[in-house]
Amino acid sequence: MVVDEIKVPLREVRRTIKEFYDPKEWHFITVNGVDLGGKVELKWFFTKYGEREYFKVVTSEASYDDEIPTITYLIPSAWISEWELADLFGLNVEGAKRGLFLDPESPQAPLRRG
Amino acid sequence: MGKRITVPFGSQHVALPEPVRFVFQTENEKIVDVEVDVGYVHRGIEKACATKFKYMQVGYVVARVCGLCAISHTLGYVTALERLMGVEVPKRALYLRLLVSELDRIHSHLLAMGHTAEVAGYENLFMQTFRHRELVMEMLELLTGNRVQFDFACPGGVNRDLTPEVEKVLREKLKVLEEKALWLRDVYENDFSLALRWKGTGVVTEEMAKEMNVVGPPARAAGLKTDVRAEFDYLPFKEVGYRMVVLKGGSIYERNLVRALEVLNSIEMCWNILDGLPEGDIKVPVKGLPEGEMFVRIEAPRGELFYYIRGSKKLILDRVRIRVPTFANIPVMKELFVGMDYADVPATVISFDPCLSCTAR
Repeated sequence: MVVDEIKVPLREVRRTIKEFYDPKEWHFITVNGVDLGGKVELKWFFTKYGEREYFKVVTSEASYDDEIPTITYLIPSAWISEWELADLFGLNVEGAKRGLFLDPESPQAPLRRG
Repeated sequence: MGKRITVPFGSQHVALPEPVRFVFQTENEKIVDVEVDVGYVHRGIEKACATKFKYMQVGYVVARVCGLCAISHTLGYVTALERLMGVEVPKRALYLRLLVSELDRIHSHLLAMGHTAEVAGYENLFMQTFRHRELVMEMLELLTGNRVQFDFACPGGVNRDLTPEVEKVLREKLKVLEEKALWLRDVYENDFSLALRWKGTGVVTEEMAKEMNVVGPPARAAGLKTDVRAEFDYLPFKEVGYRMVVLKGGSIYERNLVRALEVLNSIEMCWNILDGLPEGDIKVPVKGLPEGEMFVRIEAPRGELFYYIRGSKKLILDRVRIRVPTFANIPVMKELFVGMDYADVPATVISFDPCLSCTAR
């Protein structure tokens, strides 16, 4: 398995993805969060059509208060992954609405560890 | 321009096997805007996997994400765990995993095809499709011990071996199933009424499929050559006659035809597995504690299933992330509805074979 991981500050995420992402070549899988206590590690996963076991991963870290830039300008289908981040980690994702996965009465930001 | 009317579709609707809600804004029967709600069955499974269950138990927990693709969920998790911990799975176990995985695909595809026929008003075809699906359910029960929630794969291999008695019955049932599947392919491909109702309805173009990152049969029906079985080496598909089915057209008709053709290829693979099943162990012990991260892709019946796990040398993992195919296909469905006649919505939704148990987790 080949993993090309690019670590960037949060403000550089959109520019980094824009530099390589072409929908004809790249398949966006999802954005994943892992709570590190006080901050969340975010990874945007991509794979290339026609390639075997090849991934590109854009990695960044965000504090609970940071605004996560949306990539829906580049990848329209990314909204659902971003809304999920907003719900399950309680993150402030640009343009994301809350409540797609959680009821207002349910425990909020359940995937935070703190 | 007509008066704008709000039409809710779901969460309970006669066409829906699972709870999803679309709220359509319509003008003269044409949809002009849509909102979606997918969270009716959120059960906090990812949270449970990273707080309550030990890493050796998680495979059984994720099998409960979905009754239909329980095999794919367990397979995704154990593949990620085995890769993370450097476990080499015996070849016989890989072949047995492949066998149940393809049987799972057959019964899931037949379910989707049957439901689409039902929504088209073809009750009899729905019943015939489900009747033949029953054969696969019986085969899975023989192999795994259960009709649903199979718990077949486990870290290091599989939980049950294939006995000669079971193999004999499987061969008999597979033969009948092959005949029925050929008949079904013929009906879904050539029936005049179905073609009239489905061809050109709910079209996803190849460009749209790429733009919206569509996965599974809907992507392949649109002409997009993507199938994790060809892109990720998690089981020996090449050795058993796997062929990617790709069609042009992208409508409900092609989505169902892709499924019908994939059923036939899966049956062919099952024959090849039974004929060439390697001898040997079905399981190896898994020792140690998981440390680091791993992610894998699996071709579940509905499309690409992504598992991410992360451990720090503890019994309980730090993170288990599941990205399911329906989750990936919801954005294109939402996009597709705008401009569509409301009457075409039920068949279009069902043709994507949505699984909300998976999506909400």
